[in-house]
Amino acid sequence: MHELSMADAMVKTVLDVAEKNDATEVLEVTIEIGKLTMLNPEQLKFLLDVLVENTLLEGAEINIVEVPVEINCNECEYTGAANMDDSDHYLAIVECPECGERNVEITAGRECNVKNIKIEKEEGDEDA
Amino acid sequence: MHKIADVEIQHDIMVANSKLAGRNQKILDDADVFSVDVLGAIGSGKTSLIETLIQKMDHNIGVIAGDVISKYDAGRFEKYDIPVVGLNTGKECHLDAHLVKHAFGDLPLDSIDLLFIENVGNLICPVDFDLGSHIRMVVISVSEGDDTVEKHPLIFQNADLVVINKVDIADAVGADQDKMVADVKILNPDVKVIKSSLKTGQGLDEIISSLETFMKQ
Repeated sequence: MHELSMADAMVKTVLDVAEKNDATEVLEVTIEIGKLTMLNPEQLKFLLDVLVENTLLEGAEINIVEVPVEINCNECEYTGAANMDDSDHYLAIVECPECGERNVEITAGRECNVKNIKIEKEEGDEDA
Repeated sequence: MHKIADVEIQHDIMVANSKLAGRNQKILDDADVFSVDVLGAIGSGKTSLIETLIQKMDHNIGVIAGDVISKYDAGRFEKYDIPVVGLNTGKECHLDAHLVKHAFGDLPLDSIDLLFIENVGNLICPVDFDLGSHIRMVVISVSEGDDTVEKHPLIFQNADLVVINKVDIADAVGADQDKMVADVKILNPDVKVIKSSLKTGQGLDEIISSLETFMKQ
């Protein structure tokens, strides 16, 4: 379970950027989490909500966007979206949709990206 | 007056870790150190396997012993009079490149040619965190159940060498060791899978020769 340390790193990143941009408030945060990243979005959201208390982020809308899995198949050279068998548990199995093989290189779906924020700032601070 | 502004950040924690891992590998390459990230579940035999390799392999071996509380494993390795750094993760379930970089500072890298980095016992979280090692060796045991591979596909998809340990007790625990090998091969057809027992010595020569081959590449 490393959601707490990841959430903490995200909050620090956002606060750092918000302060550098002279934000008076952070309104919105968008975070991209790959479908295969070993993080549970529900747990992450809960921890972020706890960690933002009494910071510039308190009350901000936190959007967690799931990034789908893309692959390069090592068997048939297919490139693109993967077939996912995630019916049973969160830890999905990745297959090539063309040949059905699992010998694939994962090119997307393992992100943990603080993408952008929407902030409120005093008029005239835009050069900060 | 207030105004609203959008600020692009694009800070990917995984990418940041991968960059640090790349730097770690450069440090190892510059010091001519070959490094193995040893991953596996709690109790699969990672520490015992590394202890055996320390005794059997003709190399200047060093160990980074990662654990939630690392002094127990580090103490086991220190008995062999080799350079050892215990890396406490505290509450964390995996090592990361940043922690490993710190451990390099406490190791005489110039007098080591083979470095084992024993990760925290866990088949899930360490997958996301490249440490900068040259290969990843995953150690599992039959006593974890013969569905272990199916249930944790990503760690096997990313492995360079897989050891299925404790095969001497497979019948006693009702595990089908060949199914475990086949499950790995479905996920990662080219990876070498070795069935081993540290009690009987089965598979040890094969593990050593595989590591030697990787070191020469």
